[in-house]
Amino acid sequence: MAKTISISPITRIEGHLAIHTDTRTAEDGRLEVTAAHCEGEMFRGIEKILEGRDPLDAQQITQRICGVCPVSHGIASVRAQENAYGIVPNHNGRLLQNLILAANYLQSHVLHFYHLAALDFVDVTAILAYQGQDGTLRAVKAWVQDALDRGDAFAAAPLLPRWEADYVEDVGVNCELIAHYAQALEIRKIAHEMCAVFGAKMPHSTSIVPGGCTQRPTMERILAYGSRLEKVESFILDTYLPDVVTAAGAFPRLWDVGRGYDNFLSYGVFEMNEAGDRFLPPGAVIEGKFERFDQARISEEVGSSRFDSGSKLHPSRGETQPSPHKGGAYSWLKAPRYKGHPMEVGPLARVLCAYHSSTDHWVHKAVNGVLGKYEVPAEKLNSVLGRHLARVLEAVWVAKQSHEWLDELEIDGSPARDFDLPLEASGIGLTEAPRGALGHWLEISNHLISRYQCVVPTTWNCSPRDDAGKPGPVEMALEGTVVEDPDQPIDPARIVRSFDPCIACAVH
Amino acid sequence: MADLSRRQILRLGALLTASAGLSRTESRAMAGGLLRMAGGNPRVCWVQAQSCSGCSVSLLNSDHPGPLELLTQYISLVFHQNVGAAQGQTVVDLLEQIEEAGDFVLVVEGAIPLDMPEACTIAGRSIQDILVPLTRKAMAVVAVGTCAAYGGIPGAEGNPTGAGSVRDLMVKAGIPVEGRLLNCPSCPTHPKSVVGTLAYVAGRGYPEVHPELLTPRMFYSSSTHDDCPRFHYYNKHIYAEQFGAEEGCLFKLGCLGPLTFTECPRRQWNGGVNWCIRAGAPCIGCSFEGFARRRDFPFYRKGEQYHAVARVERGLQEEQS
Repeated sequence: MAKTISISPITRIEGHLAIHTDTRTAEDGRLEVTAAHCEGEMFRGIEKILEGRDPLDAQQITQRICGVCPVSHGIASVRAQENAYGIVPNHNGRLLQNLILAANYLQSHVLHFYHLAALDFVDVTAILAYQGQDGTLRAVKAWVQDALDRGDAFAAAPLLPRWEADYVEDVGVNCELIAHYAQALEIRKIAHEMCAVFGAKMPHSTSIVPGGCTQRPTMERILAYGSRLEKVESFILDTYLPDVVTAAGAFPRLWDVGRGYDNFLSYGVFEMNEAGDRFLPPGAVIEGKFERFDQARISEEVGSSRFDSGSKLHPSRGETQPSPHKGGAYSWLKAPRYKGHPMEVGPLARVLCAYHSSTDHWVHKAVNGVLGKYEVPAEKLNSVLGRHLARVLEAVWVAKQSHEWLDELEIDGSPARDFDLPLEASGIGLTEAPRGALGHWLEISNHLISRYQCVVPTTWNCSPRDDAGKPGPVEMALEGTVVEDPDQPIDPARIVRSFDPCIACAVH
Repeated sequence: MADLSRRQILRLGALLTASAGLSRTESRAMAGGLLRMAGGNPRVCWVQAQSCSGCSVSLLNSDHPGPLELLTQYISLVFHQNVGAAQGQTVVDLLEQIEEAGDFVLVVEGAIPLDMPEACTIAGRSIQDILVPLTRKAMAVVAVGTCAAYGGIPGAEGNPTGAGSVRDLMVKAGIPVEGRLLNCPSCPTHPKSVVGTLAYVAGRGYPEVHPELLTPRMFYSSSTHDDCPRFHYYNKHIYAEQFGAEEGCLFKLGCLGPLTFTECPRRQWNGGVNWCIRAGAPCIGCSFEGFARRRDFPFYRKGEQYHAVARVERGLQEEQS
């Protein structure tokens, strides 16, 4: 018998999202998802708000699309503007933008694993059985115990209440992961300080400008960034990476849960030179086959989306006309497609696009090394655990590369290239946010923004069905999932979270 | 409470009030507030509307107390969409339970889509429907961030959802704001403003506020311009002419410091490592009630000739520039 199971709302993500699934009873009596719908529940109309404004406002306003990855929107916006103004950042400007963005990658990936995803794996109540001497853990234990002793109905909030699920059973492992959750709170804060060293403040950096950055790289600033980078990098190598391996060891079945389409897209990120070559390369993988990326093949469909503007439009011609009561529409997200295909974006997509681009690519070798070590075949990367693994590997690589960028800075040199504002122009800004491929398309008429369209990572991942009824990547990844407890559907929640959704971004 | 020392609490109370020039009595009241909140009195219920989560991320950047101490020892945060374990129906039940139990401060992050209720829902229920009973029941309502305080970017000119502030929502629903609503603007809100305001409310009640803006005076009384480290350039009429310039007042690039009342020059951001002016970035007025509201009032002056209206409204006389 069919039963609808919803996770409404799904929390520990950014923003307002609900998941609705149809299920059937499988032969073994358990419920299995036959179809899933992602409902994005929040709309602001940032693209409409940008119309008629000074183009320079865009990098500030679009950063406010997302408080978790504002830097990526800032970079996409200044790329679109630089493209329209006919400039590229100068030497320091390019490096400073990379360093601000890199620090936010580290912040975001650490935040995602520990503070968003980990509570699906870790049993926080294990702290009550803690007998060790660690000061932090003893304080956390006392906090929970005291609240329970005084009969507080909201004891250990917000870490409780929670669903009952197949959490890690070993008390020692749980307590260690709780300690790392606490440590990670400090580490992500330090990563944000790294952003601010060159980015002025976080969230919402004010120093990113077309042509570079307003902050000069003094020796004092370089050291301030570098010393924090060492702390964050050590945590990634000594704690985050081993913890992902621990999670994989505790939940080996999650290598087979959450498999999506074999379609992956990356615009490439972190410019390595003025020509625009990127540290992690652009590319598309369609049904497992790599091809060169061509932005002209992107379109957005709105058949299932709450918009009555045109469908299948390239973003340079895109429109945003809200229609909250549109029949058949079930989400505020549009449905971006590449050559008509739904595409997964994010760390896994970046890793796989590089991996499939060439067997000589350094990512190919690095990934094979890791997979060999843990005896996991490459095709299992398309899974809940594969997404977590790709994210931490990327954190390792970005942290390492940041040392190079820091060393390449010309100390006290000019941080930005000047520019003139054009009467009429258009520009495209493509980058990668921590969550995946991010594009801004800008049109300037009579010195003002006449069109601004953003296609954002979670717009790709959590997209609703397109005009042909084809599900989005998260919707597809949920299909076939076995649900043990319909009132506490933990595996669907784990699948959705493995994509690190951001709905404020996705709808904007 | 076992591991939380009373002396450390007193120091924190002093720290939170120090930059605002408050008295010793008030800093003790603040410390008392921290102690009470630690015991779950009042609880804090944090709801996100049309937000970017930036104010929540900013709260996690809190120093003294750090984020772990804040969550486990200072604030009983009974609901938060980004960090809470609750999901699905558990969230719906939890919100009901919080409302029923009372004794909570409601924190709202994000604007409210007053003309398009479908533009922000939780579990299919409009954010207005969720917030109205909570604002009625809460012992105080704290609007964090410029969106919740004034409508911010979601409420800017040309917005399609009719987004407004928490005050707009409360007034529309006939809920009194005087003595109950506190606005803590800035984009995002500085963690010290949020923690300080909550501690004051818990320890001493409703603080002294700006009569129109409802911003706590202790955190929003001095202009960024008055305390600007580049003020000497302004006095000498030395102005930066392009982004990244080493020297000069940033006014000609668009700095909105004169219109912006914050603690930025004193507290700075992210553990004090930097802030906008120090990084050579003009203040974009993110805590100013007019932040981003008008199309013809751009952040920067580079393209100002195309927006003549804004020239006279930047808070300084043109001849001074």
